[in-house]
Amino acid sequence: MGILGTMALVSAATVFLSIRATTGSQHRAVVVEVAARQRTLTERYLNDVMLVRAGARAAPGTTAMLLRRSADALLHGGLAPAVNGDDDEAHVAATTNPTVHSQLEQERRLIGDLTRSGAALLANRPLASVELAAGEHPGAIGDVARLRVLAALTSNVSLNAARTFAREADANVNSLIATQVALGAAGLLISVLLALALVAATRRQTAHFRSLVTSSTDLVVLFSGGGCRYVSEPVTDLTGRAEADLLGDRFLELVHEDDRAAVIDAGEQAQPRVLLFRLMDRFGVWRQVEAHLTDLRGDRHLRGVVFNARDISERMRLESELTRQAFYDVLTNLPNRALFRDRLAQGLARSRRARTSLAVLLLDLDGFKQVNDSLGHDAGDQLLREVAERFAEVVRPTDTLARLGGDEFTLLVEGAAEDEALLVAQRLLQSLGDPFSVSGRELRMGSSIGIVVSSGGKAGTEDLIRDADVAMYAAKESGRGRYQLYHPDMALELGEQLGLEQDLRDALKNGELSVHYQPEVSLKDEGIVGVEALLRWTSPKRGSVSPAQFIPIAEETGLIFDLGEFVLDEACRQAAQWRADGILPDDFVVWVNVSGKQLAVGGVNGLVRRALEDSGLPPQQLGLEVTETAIVSGAPGERARGELELLHTLGVRVAIDDFGTGFSALGQLRHFPIDMLKVDRSFVQGLETDARDAAIVANVVSLAHSLGVPAIAEGIETSSQLDSVRAVDCDLAQGFLFARPSAPAEITALLEAARARAAPTPPAPTPPAPASR
Amino acid sequence: MALGLAGSGCSNGAAGGTPLASVAVSEHDFHIKEAQKVSAGKVDLAVHNGGPDAHELIVVRGHSQTLPMRNDGITVNEEALTSETVGVLEPGNPGARRNLVVNLKPGHYVLFCNMYGHYRAGMHTDLVVQ
Repeated sequence: MGILGTMALVSAATVFLSIRATTGSQHRAVVVEVAARQRTLTERYLNDVMLVRAGARAAPGTTAMLLRRSADALLHGGLAPAVNGDDDEAHVAATTNPTVHSQLEQERRLIGDLTRSGAALLANRPLASVELAAGEHPGAIGDVARLRVLAALTSNVSLNAARTFAREADANVNSLIATQVALGAAGLLISVLLALALVAATRRQTAHFRSLVTSSTDLVVLFSGGGCRYVSEPVTDLTGRAEADLLGDRFLELVHEDDRAAVIDAGEQAQPRVLLFRLMDRFGVWRQVEAHLTDLRGDRHLRGVVFNARDISERMRLESELTRQAFYDVLTNLPNRALFRDRLAQGLARSRRARTSLAVLLLDLDGFKQVNDSLGHDAGDQLLREVAERFAEVVRPTDTLARLGGDEFTLLVEGAAEDEALLVAQRLLQSLGDPFSVSGRELRMGSSIGIVVSSGGKAGTEDLIRDADVAMYAAKESGRGRYQLYHPDMALELGEQLGLEQDLRDALKNGELSVHYQPEVSLKDEGIVGVEALLRWTSPKRGSVSPAQFIPIAEETGLIFDLGEFVLDEACRQAAQWRADGILPDDFVVWVNVSGKQLAVGGVNGLVRRALEDSGLPPQQLGLEVTETAIVSGAPGERARGELELLHTLGVRVAIDDFGTGFSALGQLRHFPIDMLKVDRSFVQGLETDARDAAIVANVVSLAHSLGVPAIAEGIETSSQLDSVRAVDCDLAQGFLFARPSAPAEITALLEAARARAAPTPPAPTPPAPASR
Repeated sequence: MALGLAGSGCSNGAAGGTPLASVAVSEHDFHIKEAQKVSAGKVDLAVHNGGPDAHELIVVRGHSQTLPMRNDGITVNEEALTSETVGVLEPGNPGARRNLVVNLKPGHYVLFCNMYGHYRAGMHTDLVVQ
């Protein structure tokens, strides 16, 4: 508005000045005209005087009168008389310029001098007698010449006055022109500024729209007049089409057929406010798009509906992925526990309504933990995937096969009674018949299956899963690779197990546990060279409880850590006592079992050192028996090896227990400090009947010797077994044939007896081959 | 009216080593007044037009009684005096003060206004340079 107002003022000033300049110019023209007439009148007066003097007719008096009137008009303003017939009277404004004014006054005086001199000449009076008013000093010239000089002065002064006036007017006009030029320039400048301001405002508006459109990553589409009128760059990027190829109906070609009508409607009605549709991207993939509609049909520039859309495919994929992760097992892609529960709840509801039955099968892989421990978790995962695939092949699509976690699977078979459930279990076990190829090894896997069948009773989902678990446990107990149908007695048995666990905890506290020792003898002279410390539990309630009964429970519940520590401390203390009593030979070794679990968790190094320090037993008189699987697999095995190596450096002996039963990688044993290999009792027991077992024993012994360490056969119960292990050059033996695990007092007696035998000579028993590596 | 300057006259009054003699020249309808006697050399004519009409000033070597006239018998024949002209001031408005520096040698000079009728009306004066 300010700019417009200034423009108006400038224009008004310009027009005013132009009018003034025009008026001034007109006035100047009049003055110059009148001044020119003065010159004419002056000459005419001179001629008139000469004519009259020559006797001709003329009217110098009239001319003189016109001269005076004209001069008066110039001087004071008014009508200047016409001089010739075609002249008009001219209106002259009074002059305001003092110079012009004085010049015109001088002219007025000269006219007086001229006309008086003319009159004197015509009256034959001497001109010298005429009083001159204008300051002439004519000197000595003739009268006519003098009159001509007066006429010249008169016409000259009027012309000079006109010239001065014109110069002044010119100066005015020049300043007017300058002012007008300045105003014009100002106007031009203002116009330019105004134009720039308008352009800037337009740009701002355009930029505003553009910024909404182009600077955002939104997909912007304008629908107008039944077709697409504009698409933003992100749309062309997404679709891989040029803008021209998207206008009109062509954008709709890329909209999913099922969504097209909705998009067209929305483009015309601006409803709904938010629209979901599918748009094909440059790779031919459907993208899910969420568009927010803006109704700009009333906007005279756009006259359409603007879609501000976003590609939400990724978001939706994530959402569905999250949903999937919530209900599916990532490893096997089978439903997880949550989804299984849900399906089971629905199945139960259906079975109650329809009065049908359903079966839940719970499967647990046998020996899976061993695979995981010895071959690593990647191998374990691969095995689980392959098992899941085998199971999936033998179940109906309507059945729900799920992975509950670990190596536990469940299967829901709706409509199945006992017979059918058993058949399904059979099929599942058969599916595992062929070996699996995992990490380059052939593995045979079995599974224990617990089955529970519901016939519309009151049992809920959790009850059914728990019962199937009990049945599965029973199947496992009864031997692996079996299935078992649930019956209520099983729960009682399970209750018994739970009771055992609690009793074991109490036993530890109440001192019901003790350590017995089974001698290890040299096969050369059958002399006792060491003992294996073994845990005994004598319960006041249960009597003597077999380790075979409580060790698995201790392993499962973590009680094994406490038990292990107890045995270690007790064995060290006892050995130190024997040593203090002077009955322990220097090369005698007390062997303590270290569970794989304990090695996997770590801390054995510290535990053993503390036990040695507390008891004062020299490290070389303590031996640790570890299973091969505990030291060969993965990161835990590595840590175990590290800890054992530290202890070995200290002098502690290390033996591999149950050698031959694990999935040993012999290569890893090569660099591991071993002091003894222990042949598993299962091979010893088969020595007499199974040639393969005999071969294994021979090989283990041979392997021990090649590693430079002795081999010991455990579980020797018969003399023929003894002969067999002697035959393969086994160094040491242990078993009922020599001695049962005995209380410390009995061992004390043995040691004393041995010492007595050796008494005649100083104690210098042959040292066993030390670990030379 | 001749525009060129004879001699070494210039209009800004700048001078070299010798001090510049200044001569007041007063013009009026219709006569010229000045000192009438100056020393030879550069002379600064300080011309004031007392009006009321416009006047010019022409400086020529010679005597006022012998200046050649044009055929009209009213104006001086300047063209015939070109070689004698030592300085010219073009017509100036009444009230104007202007300077004309002329280099004058000893001798007689005439200062006059040659506007139509002015010379004959008395606008001339003689100057003797010693």
